[in-house]
Parts: sequence; C-alpha cells; structure tokens
Amino acid sequence: MILTKLALKSLLNRRASVVLTLFTIAVSVMLLLSIERVRVDAKSSFSNTISGTDLIVGARTGDIQLLLSSVFRIGHTNNGVSWQSYKYITSQRGVKWSIPISLGDSHKGQAVLGTTPDYFTHYRFAKKQHLSFSAGNPFSTIHGVVLGSEVATKLGYKLGDSIVISHGMGNTSFHHHNDNPFEVVGILDPTGTPVDKTLHIPLAAIDLIHGGNASHEHDEHDEHDEHDEHNNLTGHPKQITAFLMGFDSPLYTLQIRRNINQYKPEALLAIMPTVTLKDLWEMLAIVEKILLLFSFVVVLISLLGMLTTLLANLNQRRRELAILRSVGARPWQLFTLISMESLLTTFLGCVLGCALFYATLFLGADYLQSHAGISVNIAMLSRYELTLIGVIMAAGFIIGLIPATRAYFYSLSDGMSIKT
Amino acid sequence: MISLNNVTFKWHKNDKTPTLTISKLNIEKGQHVFLHGPSGSGKSTLLALLAGINKATSGNVTLLNHTLNTLSNTQRDVFRADHIGIIFQNFNLLPYLSPIENVILGCQFSKKRQQKALSHSATLNNEATRLLNALGLAKQYHNKNVAELSIGQQQRVAAARAFIGNPEIIIADEPTSALDTQNRESFINLLFEQASNTNSTLIFVSHDENLKPLFNRSIDLISLQETL
Repeated sequence: MILTKLALKSLLNRRASVVLTLFTIAVSVMLLLSIERVRVDAKSSFSNTISGTDLIVGARTGDIQLLLSSVFRIGHTNNGVSWQSYKYITSQRGVKWSIPISLGDSHKGQAVLGTTPDYFTHYRFAKKQHLSFSAGNPFSTIHGVVLGSEVATKLGYKLGDSIVISHGMGNTSFHHHNDNPFEVVGILDPTGTPVDKTLHIPLAAIDLIHGGNASHEHDEHDEHDEHDEHNNLTGHPKQITAFLMGFDSPLYTLQIRRNINQYKPEALLAIMPTVTLKDLWEMLAIVEKILLLFSFVVVLISLLGMLTTLLANLNQRRRELAILRSVGARPWQLFTLISMESLLTTFLGCVLGCALFYATLFLGADYLQSHAGISVNIAMLSRYELTLIGVIMAAGFIIGLIPATRAYFYSLSDGMSIKT
Repeated sequence: MISLNNVTFKWHKNDKTPTLTISKLNIEKGQHVFLHGPSGSGKSTLLALLAGINKATSGNVTLLNHTLNTLSNTQRDVFRADHIGIIFQNFNLLPYLSPIENVILGCQFSKKRQQKALSHSATLNNEATRLLNALGLAKQYHNKNVAELSIGQQQRVAAARAFIGNPEIIIADEPTSALDTQNRESFINLLFEQASNTNSTLIFVSHDENLKPLFNRSIDLISLQETL
C-alpha cells in the first residue's frame, strides 16, 4: 500500500517528464489500436461487399480485375458480354436468378449502374442481407433512378428530384445526356459497400442515354403496354458489362463455371466472388502486415523512451533510495517501487491511448466511410484489442524491470551512504 | 545495549587490511554519544554496521540483545525499521512528500513503530504533528513543499521522522554540518530533549570537535581502533 502511494506521489512529483512519457505511450497505443481496428473492419467491409452470388461473369480478363470492375466499380473493362450469350447462359438448368449489369456512365463522379429490377431482389451483401429502401421503390419506368444512400446524402437528393447522367466516368465528362433527365424514385439504406455510391437505372435507359433508338419506341409504349413493363425496363441492349448469377444449388457452380470459361462463341470469364475476394485480400495482406509492424515499432520506441527517462532519473534518485533504506525499506521493496512506477505509467498510457483511440474513431469514422468505404465499428474493445493492450502492458512491465533491477543493486551497494 | 566485540569489516573478502577494526565498544541505554574522527576514519562504515546495512566480516555486533551479524538481510532490514531512527547529513527528505508525510514515513515500514506512535496519538498524522511541534517546526510549514523549507527546518523534519514510533536507537550522521553555529546547538539540544523523553540512545557522528562538550560521552574513532 505504502509502495503504491510512494510510486504515485513520486510520479506526480515528476509530472512534466511523466506526462510526456504517458503521451508518447498513449499516442502509440492509439495508433496501434486504430490501425488494427481499421484493418479488421476493412477486411470485413471488404468481404461483406457481396454475398449470396455464386458466379460473376464478364468478358475475359483477370479474376481480380473482373471483381474490381463489377463489384467495386474500380477500373474499366473494355469488352462486355453480348446479350445473346447472357440469354443463353442464364437459360441453363440450375440458374435461379441472374442480374445483368451495365457500367460506364457516371453522375457527378458517382458510378451509374444499369440493371433490372431483379437487382433489388437478388443482390445481397454482408451476411446475405438484401438491399432495402429507406424511401421510395425500385424503378418501374425507364426514367426512374434508385440512389445509393451515400449518393443521396452527399448530393442532397430526395425523391422526385431529377438528375442528368453523363457519359463516361468522372465529373468532367464531355458529354451530358441533357435530353434524358431521370427522376429519383427510390433511395437505398446504407450498406457500407460500393452500392452506397451507385446510381441504379434501368438497363434500357443505358441504351436510351447513348442515343439508342429505344427512346422513341418507349415513349409510345410506356403508357399503354403495362404487362410488358419488365421488357421495357430491360430493353434490348447489344451487350452488358457483366452479370451476376445465383443457382438452385451451389453444386452447379463449378460445372457452369467450367462451361462458361470454355464457352466458344465469346471469350468469357466466370469467377466465384467469395474466392476472388479472398485472393484479393491476400494480395493486400502484405500492406496490412507492414502497417502492423510499423505500429508495433512505434509502441516499442515509446516504451524505450520510458526506459530512457526512468534510467536517467534513477541516478538522481539514489538519495531517495538511501532514505527509504534508512527507514527500513528492503531492497525488493525498492525494486517493486520502481517497477510499479513503470507499470503505472504504461497502464495510464494505455488508458489514455484508448481514450484517444475512441476520440479518433469518432472523428474519423465518417471520413473513412466516405473516402475509403470502410465502415468502422465504434464498439467496445474486442478481445483481440484487449490482448494487444495486455501485450503492451507486459512489455512496459518487462522494460520497467531494468531500472528496477538497477535500483535494487544501488540500494545494496549504496546502503545508506547518500550519493549526490 | 549496544556492544561490539572483535569486529572487523572488509568491503571485499580479498582486502588485506580491514576498513574497520573495533575490539570492544559498549554503549549503554539512554546515553548520548558523540562519535568523532576525521574523514576516512571509518565513521560511515561503523554506522552501516550499526544500522545493519552491512554485515561485520568477523566478530559480533549486538544491539538490544540481537546479534546483527547472525541475522539475514531481511531480518536486519526489519530490525532497522523497528528499532533505529536515522538522520542524515543533508537532503534527508523525499521531495515528493510533505513534511508530515516524510515524518510518517519513519514508521511506515514497521508495524511496531506504528503501534508505538499510535499509543501516543490517535492518528499517525497527529503524532507527526506533535513531533514537528516539539522539534520547533511551525505549523504553517507542516504541509509545505519540502523544497520550500530551509536546511534547518528540513533537519527538524528528519529528526521527527527518526523519533516517530520511539525507536530505541537514534543514529545521526553529521546532521548539523550544514547548519550555522546557533542553529547547530539548538538543534542538538532538541535532539537531546527528544532522546531523553523517550529514553532513546543517541549516537551522534561528527568531525566537528567543538560539539564534544555538549555530550555526556565521546568516542574518538581513531583511538578506539588503535586500542587493539
């Protein structure tokens, strides 16, 4: 008890250097926790992007390239899949559903995806969750657009607003399709996936904005051909970017995948998204490991900083040790006293570090969500994170044993002679 | 009370001549002893033996019927905590404790001294206050920062720490060397007064022979070692 009190008072007495040490430890703990949290959450947002889809089919490129372009809207595919091939493949036995997608247009830098209403019933993410609407419904006319949640909040759109789609990607598109404005008919709930950043329009509208002849045809049909509405929304595109498929049983997956990869009329590629996601993440794993390594080095440096201060102080404190010896403190008690100071410093550093960590999370979560698409969990410390903190505390304690051992031997060699 | 018989002390086993050789020394209970000798005469070594910090290489050091050289290191630490109060030359106080806390520290490592202190006053705080008053440290300094006290005031706090819990033996290692003449005598008189109150044995070490007349017994360390 008396030792704890002495350790605390002595720390308080050396506030300035202790606060600095505390702060370096806290910052390093904060860094380590943040990197770990972002890493873990990035991994889960990443693998949550798509689920329940058995195959993604596109023009033949690399597995990862197809995944990036069709799911993450990153990169570009030059070729597409012809509508005939799509029709042929999806009419095979075992195909439960299919979603054609057509990419390549944008609205104020956000990707525009042409698809069918099936998208809203069959597309699933995270733990096989379906898309849900925070407002409105799926498009039912060719001029309807459904917004991802982030598009809606970022651009401030609400139901009934009208939007102009530009051709190609990016803000500075040369050609605006001014003559074909769309009306916002639905807004999706946030998913933490690229869906949030996407505008969904009917597949037929893609043709329309590219000046296809569908335009006039539809104006006539729209009013009086209601039973054919589904067809109207799909239109008759020549080709699509890719399509997603789900099967009656996962057993079909390998068979159909092989058939597609050997499909003669057109060079196609079918990937299993879960497998490719895993491959992709493994490619990124090296970056992840380097980050982790760096944050551990930062922790180590901060602990070495603590060691330096403790050792530097110790020489000045030999007098203090002699006084304590004179009132009957035993050498092991002095050992305990000094190691307790480092343990307390590390402990307080970790506590402060956690506080800083949560502050960073609160401030940074929105930014990460909007700029990197990583939905960071502001949850309690996970068992893994607690283990990390435990490791830091243990390291701090072990490092503290060095000055403590010195104090032990000082107290034996100095005895009560006061060294100044 | 305190007796040394054929004591020698060597810092290292292989040293040829011992640092200290005392064939016989007896100090009675309640005596105020002035122990003097020039630097290097072995004063610090003798004090370290008496306080049980170091162990005699040969011979017996007996305090209060305990032969220190037969006790283990820990037992000697406990013995020191229980029975000996120590005042150093200078820088006696822990800078991060208040004067009151510094005084209480004196009985913090010994149950016996805590009990004795509590038999005088209701709380350790009260006892520390009582001792500081008795040693002439005005109330307004009791909770000041130690660094704000003069050397004389610091030495009073150190003395109060040595006396708390009535240890049988008080060892003062040149406690007045940093004080001016006037303060020196009044400080020594306060020590005497306290020691007499509690019937403690006072061993006062100094190289300043001017203080010798104040004590009822004086020991010259050089001549003590020559009477081999």
